[in-house]
Amino acid sequence: MSRILLRFALLVLLTGAVTSFAAGKELVFGMLLVGPYNDHGWSQAHYEGGRYLERKIPGARMIYIDKVNPADRPGVTVPMVVDDLVDKGATLIVANSDDMKDGIREAALQHPEVKFVHISGDDVLTGKAPENLSNLMGRMVYGKMMAGFTAALKSRSGRIAYLGPLINDETRRLAVAAWLGARYAWTEVLGKPADQLRFKVSWIGFWFNIPGVTADPNQVVRNFFDSGYDVVLSGIDTTEAIVVAQQKRLEGQDVFALPYDYVGSCQTAPEACLGVPYFNWGPEYVKLARSVLDGTWKQRWIWAGPDWKDINDPDTSAVGFLPGPALDVVNKERLQAFITGLGDGSIQLFRGPLDYQDGTPFLKAGEIADDKKIWYMQQLLKGMEGPSK
Amino acid sequence: MQIELRQISKRFGRFEALKGIDLTVASGTIHGIVGENGAGKSTLMKILTGYLGRSAGHILLDGREVACDSPASAAREGIGMLYQEPQDFPPLTVLDNFIVGRDGPGDANRARQRRRLRELADRVHFHLDPDAPLQQLTVGERQQLEFLRLLGREARVLILDEPTTGISDRQKGLLFEALRRIRDDGRTILLVSHKLEDVEALCDRVTVLRQGRVSGEESAPFHLPRLLQLMFEAPEGTAPPAAVPTRSRRHRPGEPILRFDRVSAPGERTGLHHCSLTIHRGEVVGLAGLSGSGQGLFLRLAAALIDAREGEVRFHGRRLGSDDHRAFRRSGGSFLPADRLEEGLIPGFTIQDHFALADGIPARRARQRARQAIERFDIRGRPDTPAEALSGGNQQRLLLSLIPEQADLILLENPSRGLDVASAEWVWGHLRGQYAQRGAIVFSSAELDEILAIADRVLVFHEGRVVRDLSGDAIDYHQVAAAMTGH
Amino acid sequence: MKPVLRPAIDGLLILVLVFLFTSALLLLVDTSPVEAYGHLLRGSFGSWSKFSRVLNVWVPLTLCSMGLLYAFRAGLWNIGVEGQMVLGAIGATAVLNGGLGSDTPLLWLGLALLAGMLLGALWALLAGWLKVWGGVHEIFTGLGLNFVAVGLVLWLIFGPWKRPGIASMSGTQPFPRELWFPTLEGWRVSPFAIGLALLVVLLSLWLLQRSRFGLELKAVGQNPRAVPLYGLSPVRYMLIAITLSGALAGLAGTLQVSGVYHRLIPAISSGYGYLGLLVVMLANFRLLPIPFIALFFAALNVGSIQLPMMMQLDSSLSGVIQGACVLSALLVFGLRRLQRRSP
Repeated sequence: MSRILLRFALLVLLTGAVTSFAAGKELVFGMLLVGPYNDHGWSQAHYEGGRYLERKIPGARMIYIDKVNPADRPGVTVPMVVDDLVDKGATLIVANSDDMKDGIREAALQHPEVKFVHISGDDVLTGKAPENLSNLMGRMVYGKMMAGFTAALKSRSGRIAYLGPLINDETRRLAVAAWLGARYAWTEVLGKPADQLRFKVSWIGFWFNIPGVTADPNQVVRNFFDSGYDVVLSGIDTTEAIVVAQQKRLEGQDVFALPYDYVGSCQTAPEACLGVPYFNWGPEYVKLARSVLDGTWKQRWIWAGPDWKDINDPDTSAVGFLPGPALDVVNKERLQAFITGLGDGSIQLFRGPLDYQDGTPFLKAGEIADDKKIWYMQQLLKGMEGPSK
Repeated sequence: MQIELRQISKRFGRFEALKGIDLTVASGTIHGIVGENGAGKSTLMKILTGYLGRSAGHILLDGREVACDSPASAAREGIGMLYQEPQDFPPLTVLDNFIVGRDGPGDANRARQRRRLRELADRVHFHLDPDAPLQQLTVGERQQLEFLRLLGREARVLILDEPTTGISDRQKGLLFEALRRIRDDGRTILLVSHKLEDVEALCDRVTVLRQGRVSGEESAPFHLPRLLQLMFEAPEGTAPPAAVPTRSRRHRPGEPILRFDRVSAPGERTGLHHCSLTIHRGEVVGLAGLSGSGQGLFLRLAAALIDAREGEVRFHGRRLGSDDHRAFRRSGGSFLPADRLEEGLIPGFTIQDHFALADGIPARRARQRARQAIERFDIRGRPDTPAEALSGGNQQRLLLSLIPEQADLILLENPSRGLDVASAEWVWGHLRGQYAQRGAIVFSSAELDEILAIADRVLVFHEGRVVRDLSGDAIDYHQVAAAMTGH
Repeated sequence: MKPVLRPAIDGLLILVLVFLFTSALLLLVDTSPVEAYGHLLRGSFGSWSKFSRVLNVWVPLTLCSMGLLYAFRAGLWNIGVEGQMVLGAIGATAVLNGGLGSDTPLLWLGLALLAGMLLGALWALLAGWLKVWGGVHEIFTGLGLNFVAVGLVLWLIFGPWKRPGIASMSGTQPFPRELWFPTLEGWRVSPFAIGLALLVVLLSLWLLQRSRFGLELKAVGQNPRAVPLYGLSPVRYMLIAITLSGALAGLAGTLQVSGVYHRLIPAISSGYGYLGLLVVMLANFRLLPIPFIALFFAALNVGSIQLPMMMQLDSSLSGVIQGACVLSALLVFGLRRLQRRSP
């Protein structure tokens, strides 16, 4: 016991010394993660972004708290956790879930001296956000276009399915982007008639499987494959799509899938994985932290895109697409050409004429959508199957 | 198997229940353990069967020291016990209970077990429906099942705790016959009882316990006065219990109190069919019959604890509906069930709590009432003694003390079950003295002798029907016994 | 040993067992137990703001545990507390939705309390009825009704009560401040909520320990077959007990909506129903220890947030400690029973 006490005393002394030594330029970076920090998905991508920040900015230290949701932490609310992080010296705090929208706004009002970032939110656009609250999101539409493009290249039947979570502006936006990418590959690269491509969206009800509440994604994906769809794009945070695809491959079906969110998720089922569109939060975190340190912070609504020079550059690109082991060389080259086209603007998929599912126009002929129009995607587009609401 | 107990002691806190018991039981004999309530018989047997740990002492089987520190280890040594209170699973059927009680896997073949149950039952002439839920059985029938279960387990030492309680004379005779047969097979039988006639009829040797010590040992043939002396050497300073008032035979019924009019109800083994009769003030009515012939149903219908399917029950002229026991109590009725701890008392509740509950009085007054009752009814306990810590006799005294003084219909189910002679005498003295003049007493009993000694009117039940209604001098042992068995 | 002393000694014994077990576990993963305990302690009692958060958990947890105690007294396992809490929250939300923009927010808050208790009570009564008339064991109905309640709350949040624009797992649109349970500057918990919980504890203390009703309820729980002999209807008492149980759970749900989250969220019950079961078991089904054990559990829940923040230690340690508490308690109580077993 005495040894433990001694260790404890040493630890206290050391921490004290380090703290006072580094006091001048330390940045304490607080992070609220909705899921476990090691979930191989959405939350882990953020956690690794935080670690990246620690490496890039000397004196920066991350304190994080994961599983911030009422089911995992009963009685713990976002403002409470923020109080705690502020107590510990945090001057920049990131909340990584749409669910934290109300809580983080309340906390920002209570701690005006601290800067806040709400991921995927739109409080800045709607004008609800106080000065010290910004929004950050990655331009995943590009990642989804690449995913859809890849899917269409590998589909023999011309039937592609999209495993959607719940229905909102963000998820409709991503499904539409995937369809646009697929349609481009089908008609422009493969030269096949547009009406031979079918693109179906099924919503399970949430970002991951909740037994008894959502539809079972395993079952939904199995139904896709059994009814003639041969590539499934995952829009949910977990890896059911590639896992089921792998099983079907073992049963002899020539099918593929693409997961989402996390750069490493192809490893779960490599033979079935065509590639994964993923987020890379680190570079944007570093920019935000620098603006806090040098006093140039300004409220912003950030929708960070890929670095077209190299979309998989971990130091510059907020959104990437990592081709999977199942993608062959020829199609890799086609994909590279597509990415180049997107980057230099020669390929513009959000260009009219495009109509909403109910026939009302989304973009007139020749019109190119602006950010707001893409962000607030009202419906799925004409040519896609599946409910918009 | 020879059993040797050496210097067995058991303390419960400050209370020393057993004070160094030495006992040797020869192989292949029936050995009686007698003593009054609270002498330590049950404790000693629970130690032998591993249900209680001993504070000191050794157990030797065939000269080999054994642990017997858990029921499982005792069972492995071949020791089986038939408890006074059935240790079974009421929601299951007879056959299920028979199977569950058996050790080891591979025994769950229902067809084989059914055959086995039938064989064993035939051996001792018991009649049990394998598919009847246990809830429908009487206490006596449940004990029969328990006995069959032990037989089926091939126990080499069989311990029986008051085995003749709640079964008829005929069944008792059959049971004794079976016991003798298995003794002759070489099994050792320990019979715990306070009924000297059972011991006399059955045992080869007897050990008498008093206040946690061995007060003597006798071999057959027994000298009865000597055994009584060993059991009941009156502790100095206490008066002997009141004697049973002899039956008057002067049967002069008063006004009607309870009336059954063509009442039928399902339940027990036989149900109750078309029962019509009237109980009058001043009567002491005994319900005779083989166990489970409708007496229990009759008492519960009278107490408005269950509902008649046909006909009506009137108490003081008022018709009793279902679930109307509260009204029954308020009008002066009281019912004491046979299964005291399961149906009559609240485990975990102290004596005082029972008064608070029964009389609806606050704690301080309940404490006072409890003190008075403890003194008046000679209950061996304190106001804060939990009901389950009382011996069977004292539980009965507690239930009796809970009867309101102004009650005028007392219904009792096997009131002297598990009581020693002195306690039973005291109970009857109290009941007759307190209530017989003012109201009516109706009781069932498995002991025909008790009914003949106490009742001045006897209703004989057979297969759910009242087949004889005898009063005064018409009550005759042979006639009642014959009617009970359907003659 | 004095009978008053025994529970205290048992409690101490349990704590020592838990301490040993948890410390061993921490040392096994090469973490300093002293540091971990220090963080737990400072994270829950280190400041008023932290302690007020502990109280925020304590209030609903105590209410649920008290509710469970009523059911246990009558011999019922009211596993449905979770669902009853959810129904209470739904009732409160419905009323508060009606009170949007009203001049008399306090009136609406009062109505919300009543509605929450009523709905919780009715949901519990449903399980009670199925038990006494349908013969279905209350554990099964309770579990079933919990599922239904969660389904209902999800449907409401994603359907009729969805927030403008996007339905979200984060719940309904937050209520305006005037419909929050009133609180004080710097408090994370409403003093009214604390008052209500204390009132419930005191009332229950009288009702369960001192009143005739309490004694009768206990008798029903101990031996439902015998109580008719004392002129009591077991069915009636069971229904009353489970109704009270549900009303308290509903009250807890209402406070979750109006005092903690200020909106209806899918996980509004926060698992307090199940945690309450542990509290009551740890209290050995006695009333007096419940508020203290609930405080201990609440402190663990709140304090454990420090572990991932400060030590990169998974905060489920609090759950491990709570579980270890109950297991140790079962062990200690079990040994006691063995010791006490009488002839």
